Amino acid sequence: MITTTPETSSKLRVLTRLGFWGGVIGGLLLPWAIMLAVEVVVHQVPIARAWRSFTLHLFAPGYNFFLIGLLTAVPFLVLALFVLLHLGAAPAQDPLIPRRRTLGLAGAGLGMLTLAGWTHLEVLLHPDAQGALAYLYLPVILLASMPIGYGLGRLIATILLPRTSS
Amino acid sequence: MHLTIFALRMTRIDPSPTVLASREIKLHLLGLVLFLGLLGFWYWLSTGARAVPTLIEMLQDDDPSTRIVAAEQLGQVGPAAQAAIPPLLAQATGDGNQHANTTAAAALKSIDLTAARQVMTHFIPRLQDQDAQQRRTACAVLGSLGPVAKPAVPALIAAGHDPDELVRRNALMALATIGIPSPPIVAALLEGLRDSSSLVRQTAVTQFAFTVPLTQPVIMALTPLLNDPNRSIAGLVRSALDKAKPGDTAQLESLGMMVQHSAARDYALHQLAQLGPHAGDALAPVLPLLQDDRPLVRYLTAEAIGAMGVSTKQALQPLQQQRQDPDPVVREAVAEAIAGVEAAMAQAESSDKAARP
Repeated sequence: MITTTPETSSKLRVLTRLGFWGGVIGGLLLPWAIMLAVEVVVHQVPIARAWRSFTLHLFAPGYNFFLIGLLTAVPFLVLALFVLLHLGAAPAQDPLIPRRRTLGLAGAGLGMLTLAGWTHLEVLLHPDAQGALAYLYLPVILLASMPIGYGLGRLIATILLPRTSS
Repeated sequence: MHLTIFALRMTRIDPSPTVLASREIKLHLLGLVLFLGLLGFWYWLSTGARAVPTLIEMLQDDDPSTRIVAAEQLGQVGPAAQAAIPPLLAQATGDGNQHANTTAAAALKSIDLTAARQVMTHFIPRLQDQDAQQRRTACAVLGSLGPVAKPAVPALIAAGHDPDELVRRNALMALATIGIPSPPIVAALLEGLRDSSSLVRQTAVTQFAFTVPLTQPVIMALTPLLNDPNRSIAGLVRSALDKAKPGDTAQLESLGMMVQHSAARDYALHQLAQLGPHAGDALAPVLPLLQDDRPLVRYLTAEAIGAMGVSTKQALQPLQQQRQDPDPVVREAVAEAIAGVEAAMAQAESSDKAARP
């Protein structure tokens, strides 16, 4: 059995902390960043004006960007807790277990990020009357996609990181 | 000694059998709770009455979209945004942007009915302005006041005959949004169905399809328009005729339930007020709303009871208790409703006497 070196252990700790806080803060900021990017890049609005308009609509009735951010953040918050409790509680002595878990969680995170990013872009680029419903369904879809992404990540990990008998 | 120091250092490097020590996991969870608490505090600070001073500042902004959003948010705050009445009045009556006028007027309706009536008084004479754009704006602002602009209905009906088709269109839209008293408004909209402009005709049908409840004369007037050569008008007529018919008990039941939910209360009361005597069965869930905190709800409740034309003491007693309502506009609506109920009671009594041998 290969034992974890102090350096590997330290890297895993940093990765867990980054994964946790990245999930919490990234999930909240993702829709806001996409909104601003669409305004600046697609609608050619100067960044200062886009920022002002964004802050103005954060709590405005009918827009409520704050609520949109929160709704998207919920599944990422669940992912962050998963990172903390699953990766953070992985045994440090056997590096294979945390590494495989890392790949599983990365699969879940990447899948969720892609799905959330695509949905927000679609809603903003092709607006219609029912578009806002996507914001309500998105958390459910993201939560459902989490175990699928995790499973895929673990599958890749099993192929890439086979257990070698010493 | 050296061995002890070495052992201590080793312990410090990797003291936990897991990637993160349980103490650190707990600290992260605590950090998360604090983060969520901060987000909640930010939301609390930015909404409700706490946001009013910032929103008032935003009403002075050079950018019309900022003034519009600020007015919308102040309307959401409701009567707690009393401090915003003077700048909102200024925006409703003096801003060069029509959307800024209408959003400020709509906000005032939720904050203070007397201020909303001041806006109405400002715009009624402008329905006869030389400039067509001024008349269009006047119609739009009066419409944004909703049922509070009830005294403007005769002036708006007259504006329905304006030579400018956009004024006529805006006047019909405003009448439908005001909605009460229902009979003259429905008559004006029916007249709009025969307007020379297809835009005005389409606007009139749209109001029956989405805003104004149907009555038997409306159904009779709309049915021939199912074959209108204008396909969009024919489609709207189909939508209107698919709506609930007068006296539909399911509709009354759902409106009766909606008045109990704050988010749908204004709409349901407004619909009941427009249904008039057909809505008499919904009296029981409506009566307690005479005690509501929001003047707009009390006003709509009094209007709905008055329109129902009920002849029972059950309605009279709660109305009489509201004679001293702090809001003069509500008091006026309550007095009208009492007069209506008393007249209906007197009529019922005289019919009873006449029926006795």
